Amino acid sequence: MEKNEGLLNKILNGLRDMCYIWAKEMRSTVTDEGVLIFFILVPLGYPLLYSWIYNNEVVREVPVAIVDQSHSQTSREFTREVDASPDTKVAYYCNSIDEAKDLIGKQKVHGILYFPKDFSTKLFRSEQAHLSLYCDMSLMLTYKAIYQTIQAVAGKINSNIQIAQSKDYTNRDDEITTKPLDFAEVPIFNSTGGYGNAIIPGVLILILQQTLMLGIGLGAGTARESNRYKDLVPISRHYIGIFRIVLGKSMCYFMIYSVMAAYITMCVPRFFNYTMLASGIDLLGLMVPFISSVIFFGMALSCLVRYRENVMLLVIFTSVPLLFISGISWPLADMPGVWQAIAYIFPSTFGIRGFLRISSMGGTLSDIQPEVTALWIQTVVYLFLTCAVYRFQINNTRKHAYDKIENLKKKAIEAKNKNKKTEE
Amino acid sequence: MRVLKQIYSIAIRECGILMKNPIYGFCMVIFPLFVVFFFTSLMNKGLPTDMPVGVVDLDNTATTRSMIRHLDAFQTTKVVAKYDNVNEARQAIQENKIYAFLYIPRGTTDGLMTSSRPKISFYYSNVTLVAGSMLFRDLKTISSLGSASVGKTKLSALGKTDDEIKTYLQPIAIDLHMIGNPWSNYNVYLSTVMVPGILMLFIFLLTPYSIGTELKFKHSKEWFAMAGNNPWIAITGKLLPQFMIFLTIFYLFEIYIYYILGFPHPGGVFTMLLLGFLAVVSAQGFGVFAFGLMPSLRMSMSICSLWAVVSFSTSGATYPAFSMNPIIQELTNLFPLRHYYMIYQINIFNGYPLMDAWFSISALILFALLPIFVMGNIKRAMLLYVYIP
Repeated sequence: MEKNEGLLNKILNGLRDMCYIWAKEMRSTVTDEGVLIFFILVPLGYPLLYSWIYNNEVVREVPVAIVDQSHSQTSREFTREVDASPDTKVAYYCNSIDEAKDLIGKQKVHGILYFPKDFSTKLFRSEQAHLSLYCDMSLMLTYKAIYQTIQAVAGKINSNIQIAQSKDYTNRDDEITTKPLDFAEVPIFNSTGGYGNAIIPGVLILILQQTLMLGIGLGAGTARESNRYKDLVPISRHYIGIFRIVLGKSMCYFMIYSVMAAYITMCVPRFFNYTMLASGIDLLGLMVPFISSVIFFGMALSCLVRYRENVMLLVIFTSVPLLFISGISWPLADMPGVWQAIAYIFPSTFGIRGFLRISSMGGTLSDIQPEVTALWIQTVVYLFLTCAVYRFQINNTRKHAYDKIENLKKKAIEAKNKNKKTEE
Repeated sequence: MRVLKQIYSIAIRECGILMKNPIYGFCMVIFPLFVVFFFTSLMNKGLPTDMPVGVVDLDNTATTRSMIRHLDAFQTTKVVAKYDNVNEARQAIQENKIYAFLYIPRGTTDGLMTSSRPKISFYYSNVTLVAGSMLFRDLKTISSLGSASVGKTKLSALGKTDDEIKTYLQPIAIDLHMIGNPWSNYNVYLSTVMVPGILMLFIFLLTPYSIGTELKFKHSKEWFAMAGNNPWIAITGKLLPQFMIFLTIFYLFEIYIYYILGFPHPGGVFTMLLLGFLAVVSAQGFGVFAFGLMPSLRMSMSICSLWAVVSFSTSGATYPAFSMNPIIQELTNLFPLRHYYMIYQINIFNGYPLMDAWFSISALILFALLPIFVMGNIKRAMLLYVYIP
């Protein structure tokens, strides 16, 4: 009976301490300018900035230069079609390739379309006519826009030539002649092929992770710097159990970041009309393990931080590699195995993959089961790691305090001895 | 002479600091080398190959099977699974097993034989943009080839020669010249901007960090005393060792990608050396300027980090700047990485004369000169301010 009461008391005390630490952490978060910037301002503002940058989504009206040596009806028709296409525009007419090349150097155009002198002669002779397309390869999106447009225009004009040559009677005959096997192109997800739609979901999740890590690290750095012995854990009767410290602190971060996660995953995509197919329940199912694993990951790493500013040096540069490693731009199937394995360490990898699938592809929680499971595993592993780290820190604190007291005692004895000696 | 001596002694003192605090070694040498290795090895294939594609073949005839075999033979495509219906294939895309699938309905071959123009479809996901656009190309080619093979069979039955058939099927052919990067190698395209971006990020952060920590550890007065309270001498001496290390790393990176990995560089050695130098001094200039504006370690580092991270987007290397909002288009000029990218692609990648990038070159020089405006401020801060956490 007594033992039970003791246990109950212990738990109650623990909860009380946890809440104390929770409140204290909240207070220090709000009063610390640096933490406030990364916890509140950056998550609020950065997604808007990125969305603004990518909000045009697709590349339209890429300027192209025309070098028309053929001066024929077909070459002019081709040029008109290129100009009329949504993705390209004819910006310059040049007399030679050299002249057009200079325009690429001055960034006036991104591609050159060259009709050779015998272009239409060959067409009339029923020989294959060639035209040359020169693309500036410094930008993949402009290359894609130009090449796809030219291909489409060439296909259309080719069909017209085929129809003119055939002996068809009806429109249906023409269709069958030019395209005996019809096909439909269906961009099933991210149907506009928009750059923002492809990249923003990853950026949003990464902003959550990086700001949270920065905030936790800055907080830990401050705690350490303001501590007398440069320890992470202060000496106080509230800070005696590992779980109450870890849970108390993480509650504070979790509280702030549930709001931020809701804002970033639910409001921002709506502000800028991004594809958002995820339902609230699925988002909850993904974001809860994601935020918790990031919190514990951040807390476990925060013990490495000696000075608060070092956190920025350690965290910020990883943003771009982490985005790439999640497979958002370079297909996962082609990533070297080593990097795929390293990617498993970071919560963002699974967070981004899962979020992309439910928000852009309309998947459900069961479709991203592997990612959610991985995040829960990470949560548990990092929770224990954090506890181990804090245990080490608490022991350090005790040792430092003990050393200090011993030192004082020694000094006192020395002083006493000295006094005795002088008396003698 | 005395000035040189002062700079020298401050530089020696700085070397001691760099050796003592391990964070410098990590951020100036180890992490940058790691990043170089990371990006170049991540995309070492250059172009994604054998990306997983599914097939829903309800017709299942010799014709459709040969079509699927042809699709599988493409370099970028690999047919990994067959599904019974479109729903299953869609689910597979949502589970990230495939990026696209080809749907051939029942009766396709019959329709081809009877000239009733059957219709097949291909579905591709643009969520991973690279995979989407490459598979789109393959799937479109295979679908068009379906038509072409019908035409070919008919024409050869009429006794046309191969040349005639070719001309009939494609009266106008396009000769594509992909200048500078004929393989459309993504490593060449991305590593050349992402890696310098991260190197510049480190310079952005470490410059205010190293100046600010003098204040933080209360060494600023001692440091300025060594320079005879002249901020120019103090800053020059302090940043000189960092400049040498960063420049070495930058040049090592350039040697690695241009000479060992063989990235195209028609612009030549001089341009490379110039660009490396400009990148380092402009980033250092920006760092000093940021600290001078707000002589607080935390604020200046925050500004620098936010600036550096945004610059990956505003450089316009992935999503072109001319397609952004007009306001952003102008703002991109405030980011050194934007100018780095412009000089790189105009002068090194495409080999045009430096004159074509005069604007970006002068912009980088301007960034390097920015500290002029804040030297007084830095001096005041170092001699009067105290560190506030």
